[in-house]
Amino acid sequence: MRHAGDDAKARARVEDRELLRLCREEGDSKAREQLVQRHLPLVRSLARRYAGRGEPLEDIEQVGAIGLLKAIDRFELERDVSLTTYATPNVVGEIKRHFRDKGWAIRVPRALQELHAKMSPTIERLTSKLGRSPSVGEIATALGATPEEVLEALEVGSAYTTLSLSASPQGAEGDSDPLDAIGEEDVGFERSEDRVSLAPALGILPPREREILRMRFEDGLPQTQIADRVGLSQMHVSRLIRKSLAVMRDELQ
Amino acid sequence: MADRIVIEAPLDETYGPVVRLIVSGIAERANFGFEAMDDLQLAIERLLAEAGSDGRVTMSFELVQGRIRTRIGPLPETGLADALQDTDVTPGRLSLRQILDTVVDSFGVDAAIDGAIVVRLEKLVAAAP
Repeated sequence: MRHAGDDAKARARVEDRELLRLCREEGDSKAREQLVQRHLPLVRSLARRYAGRGEPLEDIEQVGAIGLLKAIDRFELERDVSLTTYATPNVVGEIKRHFRDKGWAIRVPRALQELHAKMSPTIERLTSKLGRSPSVGEIATALGATPEEVLEALEVGSAYTTLSLSASPQGAEGDSDPLDAIGEEDVGFERSEDRVSLAPALGILPPREREILRMRFEDGLPQTQIADRVGLSQMHVSRLIRKSLAVMRDELQ
Repeated sequence: MADRIVIEAPLDETYGPVVRLIVSGIAERANFGFEAMDDLQLAIERLLAEAGSDGRVTMSFELVQGRIRTRIGPLPETGLADALQDTDVTPGRLSLRQILDTVVDSFGVDAAIDGAIVVRLEKLVAAAP
């Protein structure tokens, strides 16, 4: 016997498919937005499972929404699954990753966090003064720290912060991100659909990250020059490159 | 005689920060600049990412005359060996070879045994711009 609830689910699934088709085949951004709105209750429901762990619920929902967006963008119309089924592990995965990354950052001693905060401007200043990338010893001398402390503080910055990859118009250090304002598709890496290796995953990166990867690996520019061009610190560029490659790798697995 | 450091680590991404810290410590001993150190870390990170998450990997680092020679293995030969030799540099493509070409001065397969390879990376203290 068929219930009214089953009919509603089936109808919702058909509507989702039509919206996904509009998104995929016609690039309909309104359809994408509708899909987000239709599935935000799912995100909220999943986010509530992770409430009470020291993170505001709103932040968890925001992270979950990124997972939902990724699911919408990755969904293949040939798949015989509902978007809800497909999106759930994406949303949960994004939230779990956020907690993992945040958890690591929280365990970093305060003194090390403070040293890390001074690192980026010190590297910028020394690079400018020396005309080359400073050594760890030079950074340590400038900061009155030991080389080991500098290395540990640098590692603090290598911890992933999921949100900063694409969701925020401001960098983790408050750097402005001028490329966000451009908003145009990158001309180089867009021609990558038929590629092997990391290429197929480039499309999931925001334009700024794609442009940074292009400058680094196509043009061969050093981080310092890229940092100048995009108005970020060298450390921030380094983190974005690392994170982008890791995100692309995850996408392919 | 070159200084040589050997470490063996689980292929588990949670050890990524530990490996990075060790690599940065060795690079510091070789007087690498910040960017060169970051490059070497990235090269090793990408290779380890190719190796999956099961088993263990051995990394050796030799500090010889202004360079660090790194050997990493065993890594799965399937796919990786081809990826290291991939010479397609079409704009818009991003391959492992392209990444390594950018961040280290030379690389190659040092040994191949039973479906596994050992990859060699060389990074100079002061690479030519």
